[in-house]
Amino acid sequence: MEPALLEAQGLRKRFGALEAVRGVSLALRPGEVLAFLGKNGAGKTTTVKMLSGLLLPDAGEVRLLGQDPFRDPWALRHLGAVLEGNRNTYWRLTALENLVYFGVARGLRLAAARKRALALLEEYGLWDKAHTEVRHLSRGMQQKLALLQALVHDPEVLLLDEPTLGLDVDTSLQMQDKIRALAKGGKAILLTTHQLEVAEALAHQVAIIHRGEVVLEESKEALLARFAGEHYVLELEAPPPPGVLAQLRALGVEGEGPFLVRGDGEALWRVLEALKPLPLKKVAKAEADLLEVFLKVVGRA
Amino acid sequence: MLDLLLVEVWRSLLALRRYPLELLGAVVTLSLIFYLLFLGARFLAGPGVEFGGRLEAVLVGYLLWTFTLSAYNGLSFGLMEETQTGTLEQVFLTPYGPVRLYLVRDLAGLFTQGLLVFLIALVLMALTGARLAFTPQVLLPFLAVLLGGYGLGFAVGSLALLYKRIGQLLGLSQFLLLFLLQAPGEGLFRLLPLAPGAALARRMLAEGAPLDPAPLFLSFLNGLVYLGAGLFLFRRAVRLAKGRGLLHGY
Ligand SMILES: Nc1ncnc2c1ncn2[C@@H]1O[C@H](COP(=O)(O)OP(=O)(O)OP(=O)(O)O)[C@@H](O)[C@H]1O
Ligand SMILES: [Mg+2]
Repeated sequence: MEPALLEAQGLRKRFGALEAVRGVSLALRPGEVLAFLGKNGAGKTTTVKMLSGLLLPDAGEVRLLGQDPFRDPWALRHLGAVLEGNRNTYWRLTALENLVYFGVARGLRLAAARKRALALLEEYGLWDKAHTEVRHLSRGMQQKLALLQALVHDPEVLLLDEPTLGLDVDTSLQMQDKIRALAKGGKAILLTTHQLEVAEALAHQVAIIHRGEVVLEESKEALLARFAGEHYVLELEAPPPPGVLAQLRALGVEGEGPFLVRGDGEALWRVLEALKPLPLKKVAKAEADLLEVFLKVVGRA
Repeated sequence: MLDLLLVEVWRSLLALRRYPLELLGAVVTLSLIFYLLFLGARFLAGPGVEFGGRLEAVLVGYLLWTFTLSAYNGLSFGLMEETQTGTLEQVFLTPYGPVRLYLVRDLAGLFTQGLLVFLIALVLMALTGARLAFTPQVLLPFLAVLLGGYGLGFAVGSLALLYKRIGQLLGLSQFLLLFLLQAPGEGLFRLLPLAPGAALARRMLAEGAPLDPAPLFLSFLNGLVYLGAGLFLFRRAVRLAKGRGLLHGY
């Protein structure tokens, strides 16, 4: 496994009586998207802010390419962030001006920032809005620009706090493509979102935080396989006659079609025997999705 | 660092250019205020007194006041605005660190304001028919005063960072600033911020006194000490704000 670009150990943060983050440890590796999931108020944004040097942890430490951003702010040139909310750019400046400004403020030379800004606007389809003030851009464009603002100095680590919030389907998909491409290009990315289908589409790793604690962290593949278990989904071309249905129920089959067969392959064969010779439409291994996992892990409350 | 200064100057010029009416308004208002000030002074001085020769003194005094005022409250207004609009956190992500960034912003602001005042000076001269004839050496104590002004600015900026809404305090403390600029440059008054430099500039302008190296040195020392103190406080405030999670808006 490649060494982590961003590493956090035992982060804790208390606001008055509330312990918002309780011992969170995370690692972001190059080429990977970590989906950082949790309910409202679970402590995601608080963690992101500690990772980006904006919020001083009560305990624990952050290492950004081996450096501590709280002691050595120059480490922050390796980090870009889209922070929660929609004000990551200056509304009174144009898209281009914002990117040039933030490029230089993040440590680029003026000429380099300009070149990079123009290239990004081109690549992300904002070219014709380069000279439009941000307040006159649509919400989707503003959100895209927020991402570009985080990218302008080409940092190795990206922290994206709900980057697809409030985007339409098209723009959200576009944004997902870009994030996937960025990961492929070797960036280490942390993504928080409440859109679990977005997380499922992008994540390599999944971490779930609940009441300030990471209650689960593993690769998405392993996680989904683990939660799917040994179940099968079965569909028929037509509803089964009552006699067959009674037999199915006796075998423990659930559902009204599609039916759910719990258990291993042998259980499935017994069910298939009972169904013979009714025409089948589909037999498949059940798949879990992140939504199901998420609900199981953090509960519905 | 130079690029950062350039881009900050560019940013503040953009703000001026993007709102030409606001800019024009500012120039005209400031000019009128000054013009009335001048008329009022002449009226108070009585018809027998020839006031024209003192115009430079009043003008430079006024400029010293406006420059010191924005050195004093510029940072705080910036912080309050960016807390409210929500860009503050992105600004704090700069690898230069907030202290260096805001020092550069102060410098950029000084440049932009210099430009603005230059425009106002042109309008004033057209309006009053006066010609400026002050000794350029007065810029040195002027600069010393500004150093102290920025120091106080960082000190009150620390409050802005921690307590957000300090508009009232800023308004009230302007009177204190006025007092400091008018304070005599002798005895213990020399320990007050701004006072020695302002007094030296006043003597040079009003009495035509030559530039005296000893008080000038003292003025710079005073300015640097207060700047250092201001920066120290601001550094502490940044750490405190990061500890309490006070950088976000809403
Ligand atoms: N600056 C602050 N001062 C006091 N309490 C805070 C502060 N920031 C966050 N909190 C509290 O900490 C807890 C965690 O908040 P956080 O913003 O990290 O949640 P989140 O997981 O990002 O939630 P959401 O999904 O709603 O964005 C919440 O109870 C919140 O009220
Ligand atoms: Mg959040």
